[in-house]
Amino acid sequence: MSINEVLRPYISIGSTTLLLVVSLALPAKAQQKSKNPIPPDGATVYKQKCASCHGDKAQGGPGYQKPLAGSRSIAELTSFIKQSMPPGPKKCPPAEAEPVASFLYNNFYSALAQEKNRPARVTLARLTVKQFRNAIADLIGGYHATIPSDAQNGLRAEYFKSRNYDFKQKVIERTDSTINFDFGSGAPTAGDYDPRFFSILWQGSILAPDTGEYEFVVKSNHGTRFYLNNAQVPLIDGMIRSGNQTEFSATVFLIGGRAYPMRLDFIKANQGVDDTDKQKGKPAGPASISLLWRRPKLAIEPIPNRFLFNKSNQSTFVVQTPFPPDDRSIGYERGNSVSKEWDEATTTGAIETANFVTSNLARVSGVPDNDAQRTEKLTNYCRQFLQRAFRSPISPTLEQTYIKKQFESAKSPEAAVKRVILLALKSPRFLYREIGSSKRDAYYVASQLAFSLWDSVPDPELLRLVETGGLETQDQILRQAERMVTSPRAWTKLQSFLMAWLKVDEVPDIVKSTKSFPGFDGDTGRDLRSSFELFLENTAWSQNSDYRELMLSPTVFLNGRLAKIYGVSLPVDAPFQSVQLNPEKRSGLLTQPYLLSKFAYLETSSPIHRGVIIVRSLLGRTLQPPPSAFAPTSPSLHPEWTTRERIAAQTKPDACNSCHGIINPLGFTLEGFDAIGRLRATESGKPIDTSGSYLARNGKLAKFSNVNDLGKYIVESDEGQSAFVEKLFQHMVKQPVLAYGPRMLPGLVQTFGDNRYSIRKLMAQVAVQSAMSQPVGKQ
Amino acid sequence: MNNGKSRREFLRDMGLGAAMLPFVSNLPSVLTLQKPLRKQRLVILFSPDGIVPSTFWPDSVGPYFDFKKSLAPLEPFKKQTLILNGVCDRIRGDGDGHMRGIGCLLTGTELFPGNVQGGSDTPAGWSSGISIDQEIKNFLQKNPATRTRFGSLEFGVMVPDHADTWTRMCYAGPNKPIAPIDDPYQMFSKLYGQLKDQESLKSILDDLKEDLAKVRTQISAEDRQLLDEHTALVRDMEKEILNARTTDIGHAVPVIEPGVRRDNDNIPKISKLQIDLMVSSFVADSARVATLQYTNSVGQARFTWLGIKEGQHDLSHEPDSNKEAQDKLTKINEWYCQQLAYLAQRLKSTKEPDGSGNLLDNTTIVWTNELGQGNSHTLDNIPFVIVGGGAGFDMGRSLKYANVPHNRLLMSLANSFGHRIDKFGNPNFCGSGLLNGLNL
Repeated sequence: MSINEVLRPYISIGSTTLLLVVSLALPAKAQQKSKNPIPPDGATVYKQKCASCHGDKAQGGPGYQKPLAGSRSIAELTSFIKQSMPPGPKKCPPAEAEPVASFLYNNFYSALAQEKNRPARVTLARLTVKQFRNAIADLIGGYHATIPSDAQNGLRAEYFKSRNYDFKQKVIERTDSTINFDFGSGAPTAGDYDPRFFSILWQGSILAPDTGEYEFVVKSNHGTRFYLNNAQVPLIDGMIRSGNQTEFSATVFLIGGRAYPMRLDFIKANQGVDDTDKQKGKPAGPASISLLWRRPKLAIEPIPNRFLFNKSNQSTFVVQTPFPPDDRSIGYERGNSVSKEWDEATTTGAIETANFVTSNLARVSGVPDNDAQRTEKLTNYCRQFLQRAFRSPISPTLEQTYIKKQFESAKSPEAAVKRVILLALKSPRFLYREIGSSKRDAYYVASQLAFSLWDSVPDPELLRLVETGGLETQDQILRQAERMVTSPRAWTKLQSFLMAWLKVDEVPDIVKSTKSFPGFDGDTGRDLRSSFELFLENTAWSQNSDYRELMLSPTVFLNGRLAKIYGVSLPVDAPFQSVQLNPEKRSGLLTQPYLLSKFAYLETSSPIHRGVIIVRSLLGRTLQPPPSAFAPTSPSLHPEWTTRERIAAQTKPDACNSCHGIINPLGFTLEGFDAIGRLRATESGKPIDTSGSYLARNGKLAKFSNVNDLGKYIVESDEGQSAFVEKLFQHMVKQPVLAYGPRMLPGLVQTFGDNRYSIRKLMAQVAVQSAMSQPVGKQ
Repeated sequence: MNNGKSRREFLRDMGLGAAMLPFVSNLPSVLTLQKPLRKQRLVILFSPDGIVPSTFWPDSVGPYFDFKKSLAPLEPFKKQTLILNGVCDRIRGDGDGHMRGIGCLLTGTELFPGNVQGGSDTPAGWSSGISIDQEIKNFLQKNPATRTRFGSLEFGVMVPDHADTWTRMCYAGPNKPIAPIDDPYQMFSKLYGQLKDQESLKSILDDLKEDLAKVRTQISAEDRQLLDEHTALVRDMEKEILNARTTDIGHAVPVIEPGVRRDNDNIPKISKLQIDLMVSSFVADSARVATLQYTNSVGQARFTWLGIKEGQHDLSHEPDSNKEAQDKLTKINEWYCQQLAYLAQRLKSTKEPDGSGNLLDNTTIVWTNELGQGNSHTLDNIPFVIVGGGAGFDMGRSLKYANVPHNRLLMSLANSFGHRIDKFGNPNFCGSGLLNGLNL
């Protein structure tokens, strides 16, 4: 991790604001280059003239013991050096003062430099918001499976030829792939219906792919009711039709990666008094129903088949309290700071949880209200709750504070349970990672595995092993990690990593100019997102879970709508499927239409944005922040230029070139794809040039004739592999990899290769190695 | 009013007659700018299935009238009672009498066409307009001086657990029915849940701080800063809770009888709990508008505690000639009237927190029904019995109108709060303006 990432500029694309903000920090020497053929080099000056007194890292030396650190600006330092350094009559030559001040400032003196030079260590961290929500869901829900086992995609549908669900009148039971029906004025399925009166019941579960607010919409011209994650109270009650109201919606917060039980009722018949006789001889009216959602930050759509399941689990308690977002300044969410907003949210969340538990006490605790030993059993429930929440055994002292005291002072067992839950969820033992386990015991290992792989507290199986001594050896631990990486929870974690790594998690949608790309509308952006999700799932999470497939597979998933835009022959209503879309030219995720469109402008490609993602995410390099924002040269100024020519011209100045010299030749390899990721051979009447190059950190220059070469290079290079492993490590463990010693990263990269680049096995290794390693600085 | 004069005395002294009233009923806010407004409140009480006219309406008009059996419980409040006969729900359109009866009662406008089929007429949906309680609530909430935590509270007693046209009286707008809360414990937690939560939170703070200090010793010095910041936040929270207690609701959280199940035979207990909670909410000034809905239109409560086995709605269909049934219906309405009297009594015996009289002086209770009479399903002569001084009407009278649309009464209620509207609901029934004669 480098502190430079703190300053990473925003990459903004796809909106109408065309900002080019990636550029080059302007080193002082570059500015002076034209005036002075041999500019003084700050580092050399420091080494020759300053280090003897101040130490080679400005840490203090024989002449001046204190480290050089403070809050002066480069200009202030320059002027100070000119006037006062070195001591004695002969002062620093004016031409050398600025370069040496600048060197000193950037490398040792400034607060950022100080932070950067601090050795990496595992720091105390609180649970991230995601971890907080998952942990509470699992503490309350008893860790049931996130997706029901043996479930098939689609919803279980029962059709009745009666006004209400009379099971004797059931016509057919089947699986419906989505809910988007127009029955016209006829029967809904084959069978002897009276088309004026029938009813349908859909049941199963809905998988929420991301965490956030979901809007659900039921559209129908008849009575409907929609239950989600609550079998008693409908989320949407549209059973009464009134006026022109045919659309009902409700919003609910869901945790991603979990399937929530659902039920949808549909009744084609008037409510209230049975009017069968009244309706005699009257014609049947039309009937339709559809179930839609708006995923967080995405457009509204009928809920796709792949998020529907024909079976359901019990409901999940989801804390609805809004939280402030976690710190992401260094590229991954982490719990390195606390704030008043965060503390208040944890309080409100704890109250919300405690109230839920006490008002559903018998169900949640498993202790019936009329149980003869109710108090004693509730005490046991509280003890187990604490043990699971704290990921540690409950010592007699803890038991006294957290349980006995509460049961003694509260007016009723319910009130006592409420206090225990409140206290537990506000406790640093719950809110912080691994407090109190000063020694590396099996509880610590279980907790590390669970948070690294699932962002939650240990499951019952892990705790059982801890208590029976089954989580001690590396083999035992690895076996558990390998069990855990097969769970959908691990895929949720990996998917959120991939989206964050590729910088497509915060603004998932895509907008394009419909003038340049007729037919590219809101549906297209949403479909491309789905296409990309399917690509990731079918490569990174396939049987082999192979990093090389992720990086090189030519597979593209299209549905009927996308096929039309991308020139593939498919029926217009075809579901998503793997298609051949210029397979010889496509190479893994870089050539996915979604990413190519995301990292492009409304009308033109953007080699810079594409290059930046390659440099930063795929090769793991840091880029200096730009000195200021630049507006990109408008294509209309030089219509005869290709994008490549235009970019080359604009970033030609030396000031730009030290970064763009890396960025552009990588981004140019993708010039064979336009702003929506379609293959193209020419631009502005000229043939496309997809050649590029990369000067590796080891000094070797690699040359590519196209993106296929680049893909192979990244996959085979240590830089590409290390970047992937390091970023995945940080996303999973939420600590810098260097904090686990210099050998952690190379060791993991080595094992990655030994395991045929299985991402799943890599995740298991990351979890195991970080859980078993003695982190630097943590004693 | 704060100067000790009643509104009537004030107007009389000013030489203003009743004719001027609609234009000056906001006088307190105009003329006593420095003084706080009195806390005007409105309560609407609903009971279903019509009444028995012969045992309900007084024989004479004006200040000298006698209560009949159905209204006998109001005897102690005679001087604060106003009985309005001849006010009719003239709204027609889709829906049967019961549906329109409850759905148009407070909205004064038609139901939308829909898929709820009643016992007769065409199917209907929800009301196409806002109800008067919500209209007044919105008006009060717009003004910081009259704004309260909830604005309005919708109480219920044994309202059936399904949302349809027969079970909803209050509307936040067209197609926006509001479900009454008929579980006193749910209402209690709405009113006092936060305070209870704060109490629970306060009870664990010492233990939490103690454990934070203990944990602090177990972590490295470098990591302590984060935990110290956290501890400071916990202290902040403690201070805020302590401060909140000095500025809280100004009265103790009421203790309510626990474990009353939602059950037909518990209706009297639930009714009392809900009325008590309503009075508490007024003391805390959590709301200025409240509704209390007994069961639903077509309500089938069985008044077993009165020795009546039949459901109310079944009884209400019995002809006038069935003396026994009419006696039972009279008893039933007398029981509802007792609830009204209990509410009036509780309000009267509770002082305004600022010392300016009692709550009944500033509260208007309107008791009404979806039908004029059950066996005819008429929407004429809808019972409107008003108790209390909130609206500033001239009380202690029995009035008889000739078939006036009830929209005019709804407008008068709004105007009594200073909300100057000349139309409410269907404008065709508003032409003659506010209901005349409410003030002398």
